[in-house]
Amino acid sequence: MSASNFKKAGILTLVLVITSLSSWELYLRNKGYFISYDDGEALWSDKRGKVYQPFDQTTTFIGSSRIKFDLDIPTWEKITGENSVQLSMEGNSPRPVLTDLANDPNFKGKLIVDVTEGLFFSSSPGYNNQAGKNIAFYKKFTPSERASVKIDYLLESRFVFLDKNFFSLNALLQELPVHDRPGIYGGPDFPWNFNRNTFDRQSYMSNRFVTDTNLQNKVKNIWYNMGRAIREKPPTGALLDSILLSVKTDCDKIKARGGQVIFVRTPSSGPFIAGEKMGFPREKYWNMLLAVTNCPGIHFEDYPAIAHFQCPEFSHLKPTDAVLFTRNFINILQEKGWIFPNKTMYSIHSFSKNSDHGF
Amino acid sequence: MVFNSYTFIVFFIAILILHNLPFSWKVKKINLLLASYIFYAAWNPPFILLLWLATVVDYFVGRALYTQPNKYKRKLLLVVSLCGNLGMLCFFKYGGFLLDNFVQLVNTFGINYHPAKPNIILPAGISFYTFTTLCYTIDMYKRKSEPVKSILDFSLFVTFFPHLVAGPIVRPPQLVPQFETPHKATQKQLLQGLFLVSLGLFMKVVLADSMLSSPANTVFNSQDHLATLDAWMGVLAFSGQIFCDFAGYSTCAVGVASCLGFVLPDNFLYPYAAIGFSDFWRRWHITLSAWLRDYLYIPLGGNRKGKFRTYINLMITMLLGGLWHGANWTFVVWGALHGFYLWLEKLVQDYRKPRLKPGVEIIPQPALATQGFMAPRFLKKVQSTNFLLALLTFFMINVTWVFFRAPDFTSAWRMLTSMFSSVKNGTPLLPTLTIIKVSVIIVGIIIFHWFMRNTRVLLVANKMPWWLLGLIWSAMLLLLILSQESSSSFIYFQF
Repeated sequence: MSASNFKKAGILTLVLVITSLSSWELYLRNKGYFISYDDGEALWSDKRGKVYQPFDQTTTFIGSSRIKFDLDIPTWEKITGENSVQLSMEGNSPRPVLTDLANDPNFKGKLIVDVTEGLFFSSSPGYNNQAGKNIAFYKKFTPSERASVKIDYLLESRFVFLDKNFFSLNALLQELPVHDRPGIYGGPDFPWNFNRNTFDRQSYMSNRFVTDTNLQNKVKNIWYNMGRAIREKPPTGALLDSILLSVKTDCDKIKARGGQVIFVRTPSSGPFIAGEKMGFPREKYWNMLLAVTNCPGIHFEDYPAIAHFQCPEFSHLKPTDAVLFTRNFINILQEKGWIFPNKTMYSIHSFSKNSDHGF
Repeated sequence: MVFNSYTFIVFFIAILILHNLPFSWKVKKINLLLASYIFYAAWNPPFILLLWLATVVDYFVGRALYTQPNKYKRKLLLVVSLCGNLGMLCFFKYGGFLLDNFVQLVNTFGINYHPAKPNIILPAGISFYTFTTLCYTIDMYKRKSEPVKSILDFSLFVTFFPHLVAGPIVRPPQLVPQFETPHKATQKQLLQGLFLVSLGLFMKVVLADSMLSSPANTVFNSQDHLATLDAWMGVLAFSGQIFCDFAGYSTCAVGVASCLGFVLPDNFLYPYAAIGFSDFWRRWHITLSAWLRDYLYIPLGGNRKGKFRTYINLMITMLLGGLWHGANWTFVVWGALHGFYLWLEKLVQDYRKPRLKPGVEIIPQPALATQGFMAPRFLKKVQSTNFLLALLTFFMINVTWVFFRAPDFTSAWRMLTSMFSSVKNGTPLLPTLTIIKVSVIIVGIIIFHWFMRNTRVLLVANKMPWWLLGLIWSAMLLLLILSQESSSSFIYFQF
C-alpha cells in the first residue's frame, strides 16, 4: 500500500470516528442524559490531596454514600466560606480512610465522619475493598495521573458518553439479555438517574428520579435484597470493643495534632431506619462510639431541623432536601462549638442570591 | 507516564510538533532527551537521579573498556560496571526478597532475628534500562561495537522514552546509528506509527484492561476452591491479559518511535501460535530472550560444551529469566517450568535425530547465536496439522501462567487443583457474560495468531484495501474510546 492509501484509510478513520461519536453524543443528550463524572480512584485521590489546605479553610468529610448525597457542597462552601473535601465512598466503611488520615502526620484539619452503622461497624472485606484500593492508589498517585485528572475533567464535563458507569463498553455489554449461572450475583443494577456525580464528588438524584416512584421502588427493592443477602451479624463483645478502640486511637491521633473530629448520623427513613435500629440499637453503637472516642456527635433524630426528612428510597436525601440539611447542619455544628471564621454576612447573602445548585 | 493516559496524548502531540519544527538535529535530540526525562519523571521525579547515574557511569566506563589496553584494568572496569548496574537492580528489586529469605533461613536455625520491613519503592523500568546499559558495557568489553561518540547520543539511547520503561530492550547498534543522522518520519511512517499506537492501545485498553483483567483478578484473588470452568477462565483471561498488556505496550512503543522517524525492534510475533517452547521464546518478549541468549546462555557455554551442560545452561537461563520478572519464588518456578519444557523438547529432538531415515536431507542445526533457543527440526515445517501442536503448546504455557500470576504457592496449588480435578462444590465465580467475553477473545487471539504467525501486521495492513483498513482502524479507535479505561499501569512496569 502506498502512503496515499494509508492516508485515505486514516481520513476514513477520522471521519467514521468523529461521525459515530457525535451521533452517539447527540442521541444520548436527546434521550435526556446529562454529565456525570467518573468517581474512580483518580478522582478520589485528587480530592485526598486537598486535605492539607489551611485549617480555617477546609473541612474533610468521610463516610459512606449518605453524606455524599446529603451534603450539598455549593451550599456548604457558600455559607461557611470554606472548601469541603468529600472522601466518602458508596458502600464502604469510612474506617480505613479514618486510619489513613490519622496516620498522616500532615493532616491536622477538621474531619466530619458520617456513620451508617451497617457499614461503619462492618469488618467484611467487601465493605472495605474500595477504600483500600483508593488509599493505595493515592499513595502512588503520580504527577502524570494528577495531570490526567485535569484533562479528564475537561473531557467529561463536555461529553455525556464518557459516563463510565453507564456508557462504557462493559456497561453497554452488561445490558445484553444474558442470564447468569445459578449461584452468581452480578451486583445491584441501579437506575441511571439515581446517583449522578459532580467533580467535587457530590452525589445527587436526577429530577426524574425524585418524581418517578417506579425508579425509587427499584432502588428500594435493591436495598431490600441486599438486606436479605447480608450474612454478617452486627459486631458485639470483643470484636465491637476492638473496632471502637481502633476508632478512638485514630481520633486521638488527629486531635493530638490539633485536628477536630465530629461524628454525624445522617437521615434515613421508612423500613430502612427501622431495620438499622433493630440491628444497631443506638445505645449499643452510636452512643458507645461517642463515649469511647470522646468526640462530639450529631444524630439527625436529636435535631428537629434535620429530623423530618423523608428519603425517596429510604436512605438518601433528594437534592432540595440536601440544601436544607446542609444549611441546618452548619448551624448545628456551630452550636456544637465548631467555628467557621470565614462565615460572613456576605457569604450568607451570596448564598441566598445563588441558591440554585445547578442540578 | 503511561501510553494509555490523557497526559501522554498531550505530551506526544507536543513532542511531534517540536520534532517537526526546523531546529538543528542536535536541538531535536536535546528535545527528545528532555522529553524522555519528563516522561520518566512524571511517574516519580526523584528516580530520575538513578537514570542519570546509570547513564553517566556506563558512558565513561564503556569508553574506558573499549580503549583501555591493560587486560586487568579492563576486567576491573567491567566488574565496576556489573556491580553498579546489578547492585542497583538487586537493591531496589530484590532487597526485600533477599532479606525475607535471609530472615527465614536464620529463623530455621533458631536465631530470633526480625528486622523492620524495608520500604523500598521499585523504580519503573529499572530491569529494562539496566539490561540496556549492561549490554553496552559488555559489548565494549568484548569490543563488539564502537563506543558511542557523544554522551547526548548515549543518554538518548538509554532514555529514549518509547522503550525506556518496558522495552523493547534495544542494543546500541539498533538505535545509536539512528541518532547520528537526522531522522524525521515520512508521511507513511507517521501514519503507520499512528496505526500501531491505535492497535497497541486497543490491545491494552480494550482487551487487557476492559475485558480480561477483571476476570483474571477475580479468579486469582479468590480464596476458595473454584469450579473447574471458572479456574480455567481465570487462567485463560490472564493468558490473554498478559499478552495484550505487554505486546500492546511494545506495539505502542514501536508505533511512537515510528511517528518520530525511528525504528525499534519487534518484541512479539504471535506467541500463542508457537509450535513448541523454543518457538514460543522466539515469539514472546523477543528482545529479552535474545538478551538472555547472548549475555547469559552463550557465555555459560550454550550448547558448545556437551549435552549435559546444554541442559544445565538452559535451566540456569530460564531460572534467572524467571527471577528477572519478579522477586518471588513463584517466578523462579515459572522459569523452571519453562526450562523443563525446553528440556522435554530437546529430549524429543535428540531422540528423533538418530531415527531419521538415510537419505533424508539434514538441515544444518541453526546456531544459537543467530536463531535463539533451538526449535526441534520436526516442528520447523509448519502444516495445518501442526495447529494441534500449537494448541498443546498454548495449553502448557497456560499452566505456567498460574505460577506467574498467583501471589504465592498456596494460591497456585489451589488454582491447579481447581483446573485439573473435579472440585466438589467448587465455587462458581464468573458471570455468564464474562465467560462469553473471555472465550470469544481467547479463541479470537489464537486464530489471529495462527493466521499471522508468518507475517507482520504492517505487511498485512499494507496489502489491505484502504477502506477495509479504515474500517478496522476506526473500529479499534471507537472501542478504545468507548471502553473508558485509562491510566492503569502496564503489568510489565513492575518488572
